[in-house]
Amino acid sequence: MSMKKELKGKDYWRSLDQLAETDEFKSFLNREFPENASEMTNPVSRRKFLSLMGASIAFAGLAGCRKPVEKIVPYVNAPENIKPGIANYYATSMPFGLDAQGLLVESHEGRPTKVEGNDKHPWTNGKSNAWIQASILGLYDPDRSKAVLQDGVEKQWEDFVEHWRQIYFKFRETKGQGLVVLSESFASPTLFRLYEAFKKQFPAAQWYAYDPISDENIYEGIRLATGSNYHPIYEYDKANVILSLGADFLLTETGSVRANQGFTAARKVESSNDTMNRLYVVENSFTITGGMADHRMRLENRYIPDVLVALTQRLKKSGLKVDSMLVPPYSPVIQVDEQWLNAVADDLMKNKRQSIILAGRNQPSWVHALTLALNQALGNLDKTIVLKPIKDTLIGDHQQLKTLVQTMHNGQVDTLFILGGNPVYNSPVDLSFSSALKNVRKAIHLSTHVDETSKQVQWHIPLTHYLENWSDTRSMDGTMSVTQPLIAPLFGAHSLPEVLELMTTGNNKRGYEVVRETWKSRTGLNDFEKKWNRILHDGLLTNSAVAKAKVSIDKDSLSAYLKNITHSEDLPDIDNMEVDFAVSPAVYDGRYANNGWLQEMPDPVTKMAWDNAILLSPKAAEALGVVSQDVVKLTYKKQTLEMPVLIMPGQADYSVVVPLGYGRNAAGRIGDGVGVNTYLLRHSDGPYTDMGLTIEKTTKTYTLANTQDHWSMEDRPLVREATLEEFKKHPKFAAEMVEHPPLKSLWEEHSYDEGYQWGMTIDLNACTGCNACVIACQSENNIPIVGKEQVAKGREMHWIRLDRYFSGDIDDPEMVYQPVACQHCENAPCEQVCPVAATVHDEEGLNVMTYNRCIGTRYCSNNCPYKVRRFNFFNYTNDMSEVIQMAQNPDVTVRSRGVMEKCTFCVQRISEAKIRAKNEERKVRDGEIVTACQQACPANAIAFGDINDSESVVSKMKNLDRNYTMLAELNVQTRNTFLAKLRNPNPELEKA
Amino acid sequence: MLDNTPLVLGNETFSSITDHISSITERKAPKQWYLLLALASSLALVLFGMIGYLFWEGTGIWGIQNPVGWGWAIVNFVFWVGIGHAGTLISAILFLLRQKWRTSINRFAEAMTLFAVLAAGIFPAIHVGRVWVVYYMFPLPNQMQMWPNFRSPLLWDVFAVGTYFTVSLLFWFTGLVPDLATYRDRAKTKIKKMVFGILSLGWRGGNRQWKHYEMTYLLLAGLSTPLVLSVHSVVSTDFATSVIPGWHTTIFPPYFVAGAIFSGFAMVMTLAIIARKIYGLEHLITMKHLDNMNKIILLTGMIVGFSYGMEFFIAWYSGNPYEQFAFVNRAFGPYAWAYWIMVSCNVLIPQLFWSRKIRRSIPAMFIISIFVNIGMWFERFVIVVTSLSRDFLPSAWDYFTPTIYDIGMFIGSFGLFFTLFLLFVRFLPMISMSEVKGVLPQADPHYYDHEHDTRKGGQHV
Repeated sequence: MSMKKELKGKDYWRSLDQLAETDEFKSFLNREFPENASEMTNPVSRRKFLSLMGASIAFAGLAGCRKPVEKIVPYVNAPENIKPGIANYYATSMPFGLDAQGLLVESHEGRPTKVEGNDKHPWTNGKSNAWIQASILGLYDPDRSKAVLQDGVEKQWEDFVEHWRQIYFKFRETKGQGLVVLSESFASPTLFRLYEAFKKQFPAAQWYAYDPISDENIYEGIRLATGSNYHPIYEYDKANVILSLGADFLLTETGSVRANQGFTAARKVESSNDTMNRLYVVENSFTITGGMADHRMRLENRYIPDVLVALTQRLKKSGLKVDSMLVPPYSPVIQVDEQWLNAVADDLMKNKRQSIILAGRNQPSWVHALTLALNQALGNLDKTIVLKPIKDTLIGDHQQLKTLVQTMHNGQVDTLFILGGNPVYNSPVDLSFSSALKNVRKAIHLSTHVDETSKQVQWHIPLTHYLENWSDTRSMDGTMSVTQPLIAPLFGAHSLPEVLELMTTGNNKRGYEVVRETWKSRTGLNDFEKKWNRILHDGLLTNSAVAKAKVSIDKDSLSAYLKNITHSEDLPDIDNMEVDFAVSPAVYDGRYANNGWLQEMPDPVTKMAWDNAILLSPKAAEALGVVSQDVVKLTYKKQTLEMPVLIMPGQADYSVVVPLGYGRNAAGRIGDGVGVNTYLLRHSDGPYTDMGLTIEKTTKTYTLANTQDHWSMEDRPLVREATLEEFKKHPKFAAEMVEHPPLKSLWEEHSYDEGYQWGMTIDLNACTGCNACVIACQSENNIPIVGKEQVAKGREMHWIRLDRYFSGDIDDPEMVYQPVACQHCENAPCEQVCPVAATVHDEEGLNVMTYNRCIGTRYCSNNCPYKVRRFNFFNYTNDMSEVIQMAQNPDVTVRSRGVMEKCTFCVQRISEAKIRAKNEERKVRDGEIVTACQQACPANAIAFGDINDSESVVSKMKNLDRNYTMLAELNVQTRNTFLAKLRNPNPELEKA
Repeated sequence: MLDNTPLVLGNETFSSITDHISSITERKAPKQWYLLLALASSLALVLFGMIGYLFWEGTGIWGIQNPVGWGWAIVNFVFWVGIGHAGTLISAILFLLRQKWRTSINRFAEAMTLFAVLAAGIFPAIHVGRVWVVYYMFPLPNQMQMWPNFRSPLLWDVFAVGTYFTVSLLFWFTGLVPDLATYRDRAKTKIKKMVFGILSLGWRGGNRQWKHYEMTYLLLAGLSTPLVLSVHSVVSTDFATSVIPGWHTTIFPPYFVAGAIFSGFAMVMTLAIIARKIYGLEHLITMKHLDNMNKIILLTGMIVGFSYGMEFFIAWYSGNPYEQFAFVNRAFGPYAWAYWIMVSCNVLIPQLFWSRKIRRSIPAMFIISIFVNIGMWFERFVIVVTSLSRDFLPSAWDYFTPTIYDIGMFIGSFGLFFTLFLLFVRFLPMISMSEVKGVLPQADPHYYDHEHDTRKGGQHV
């Protein structure tokens, strides 16, 4: 077996439930978290709390159809009529900071239910991630703001329009003196047109953009190197060698959906003649990118620039033409492993024009500049890395916010428009935005929720969700898309284009007209209606991607900058830890805090849900004398904060990850009070990573809800893994890894050789562990959320879970993922033991659940070797508010209390395709049925289809050498099989 | 039995036995009885109250989760079914084997069986998620034309436990008939006369009636005997037919039966010691009876101990790593405490019975019998919970912690059991008068029968 030393976790993890009984824990809860305390002692209160979602809203007539008034064009099915029971699909796009995703949204009778990627969109190619999948729930969030508020009093939109018009003319006279706008970053033709119009209308007005998580360092680095702003576009599929310097490009960095596709495409190994790329990762804490690495080096962020400098010097030695001006006069503080440097440098030299070096957004800008210079020297520029001019885009950064706050403190702001965002919550603590706001005469906040910021302003305007407004976007590659609404605004909210139009012109126009105005100017008036229909139908303007820029590095200015780079002597150790403010893979910067699916989604690496905790290395924890779930006191730049600890293997010893996005107090009923607000520790002069954190142990403990208690595979051949070399020598290693007696039955088994026989394969070499499938499945199959207490008890309901195992040294292990859903055994242990025959087999090899027949003995779950069955211990769905019910898929039964449920292979999609095929008198075509997990998977790890058809993709996958069945020795004959994982280590490093 | 100690002490006669045993139900109940009933019925109320809450709220009020889908409810079920073994065993198998010392303890052992099976039967019924359709388990004709799944061991349980309860009830009732007739004859009030009159089925004590009675009793004993072996064997198939390491074991049927007898005898012992003290039955339930039962506890305890060892041996010998892990995990994993409680109570402590002095010491045997009961509950806990909590995929492993409802319902089931038992000793003859009379020397006068002159007692067969 390829699993190395087993990882015994006894000392660094412990059972949560055991802990819950200790006195310290109880007293801690009662003292510190009175609300949580009552929830922890009463097992059902949290559930009731969740089921109350939206109960307080009056919803007369809301559950009915709400067709958008304007004309929108369906994508696949004819638009003439909505046929009851048959879903329509509409193309739209979802803005996300500087990026945008092309989407296709499933709509049932005018009610959007499921978000999927748009295959036609050249940037995301029909793939998605967990945030995109979960965005549908955000639409139906019953805690969304429902009315315009003036000083907390409900007003009408017209009142605000009237109010603004009064001051509008005053500002027009003063050219906008004292008028200030704070927006988030955006990439949108319409917003940018209005932004420019605004600046023209009010030349004296100020406009600032700020996001708590932004790529400001990356763009500053590119500006340092080239003199202007470009989007760096990485063509991962063309790279043989990738070196990531702290960049989690597969999940939390911008453009990760596309990165997953390219990266895994270059790792598809079908036969022993194939090649695969090689990934080197240097990072401070485990990310899913680090998990995919062939060589991972754990290192504090502080030392990562040292690696780059050492590598530059080493590459220069190997004869790479790096201008000597570009080598900083800076000698690394740490001795980077010579062997590692040689191996990486040789690999990069061997793969000129076919490699990528990239740095994470938390690295200083000069690192990005130097990285770009190195890439150019290696010939990667224009090959694997393309720089594209930035259009219709506003990039925010901390400096702008700093300037704004300064102006506010100085009392120079008369009227402040806050367009989206939540600066009171998420601005760095040293700026004290909240008190600065008091110096502003009038603040107006546009927001989806009455959030922390809304509560401190004079006017609050409800903002639309992207699925209910007209807008447009530009993806990073420049592709222009229209965001068309799937439903009329549920709560009478207004969109950014509408408000901006009002701000700029004083006109109260419909968003539809505002957006069309932009597009008229972009596409020309000739045949506009036809073009417009085409754009709405496709979801994008064809061939609108921006051409790549001819860029040369401005050596003089860069070297002048690099000359001044000095390394500080401030080095991390146990009394002076490095703090790393990390974006949450669940709630991002806090904007998704009220999204139950994301809150309950286990973190891909820690497997923790419903909380944030600081991540400490085992060594640091030992030195501090803390264990997981102990509460510690963090002190950083005179700010203190108490937080629980989670010990993470593979963490750099003196680096502490402090996840952002939690501890909201005005997010809504789901997000309030979940976790700790770590923005209260963040400073504007080191917002991503900095030194100077000290940690003190307290006597308190705090229960964290973890979906996976055990971190080692216990030497069991579950995830099977080999190196590329081993695979070439022994292609069938995975299937032959386990010796077992011949799998024979005592009697004649059903042969399953007629008609369709559904099967699935999951390629573990492609799966990056990003969680997109988990949320896609939750959305498609109406899977309820159960709350922290239930998760802590082990009652999460996800039909597909991502098993994460560590192997090797506890300080520096390897990490692997395995998505596990129902394996659809032909000889299913669950079916044999059900006393009422509620789970049975159908002719097409599906293991099906009959909810009506199930009495809930849970015997099937006990006898399932894969433990994929999920039981409704309580009635998790009955009290769901009407508005949340609108998010449910009408093709899937909503389960009530006391029944078992599990993955169905999306049987509703199978049936739909079979009915369609039957009507058209043909067989279901291969690829016609796409399961929800498969559709979302950005890594294309999942194949599904008819295994009785030897030409189907899934049959071909099952014929690959890497194919194996988990626990084949039980002779359960699963329909789902795995393709073994491969790593491609550098032979030079393997020798060590 | 090689020793010739008389089975009844104290020069009892036929009429003194009748008087003595009948008077227990005829005179005022002792104060302790009321106290005990108050306590037991309060606990039973706790059980029913919690069942009400369970039906209202759902099985989530228990500590069960994924992967431990069965918790205390099933542990309690197996525990109580096990307790229910001794009664029928004492009545039927010892009857067939002509073990006459059984006569003084068989009646309340049988009653105990019935009440234990009743307490057991509650748990599988309430542990389902949708209790309102629990009748799907029974093969009832229905509009869906759906049969239950006859391949499922849970269904076998329904039949096995159902049959066992029915036959045990019949056996117990048949044995009661002559005594009920005695009660009818002694009854002073009209109601008593009527009730006992109906229950005694017109028993007159005639020769033919005795002949039929004894034939019926013999047949029922014959019928019950395989049931004693089958019911816990079937219960064990719930586990043995599954694929889960630690459950998937062919040794389970004999191991479960031995364990059941072990725990059943321990429970009989606990109850007998209390009853004999309170009601002064020392001359009927003699030291000889207790000594014999202790020997059976010692024997079955060693069978159980052997099974524990054999499980480990097979796990090692099979070469199956999952199996090996399951057993190492039992002894040294997170539930090691439960495992070692089980081994101490079931294997080590009963070894004290090798000493005749301890075997005949009332306080010692009382304490040991309690330990055995604890140990056997833990045996089921170890089997059910530890196997589930860590099976094939480490990613799914989790630790089970009971809630107040798990604990409350278990304690409540004792309440139900003791309530029924206390009502039984109050209103029905707790010792079989007719059978005890049969083992008196007077019952076997052997007038001119030289062949049997070595025998002190005899019985109507």
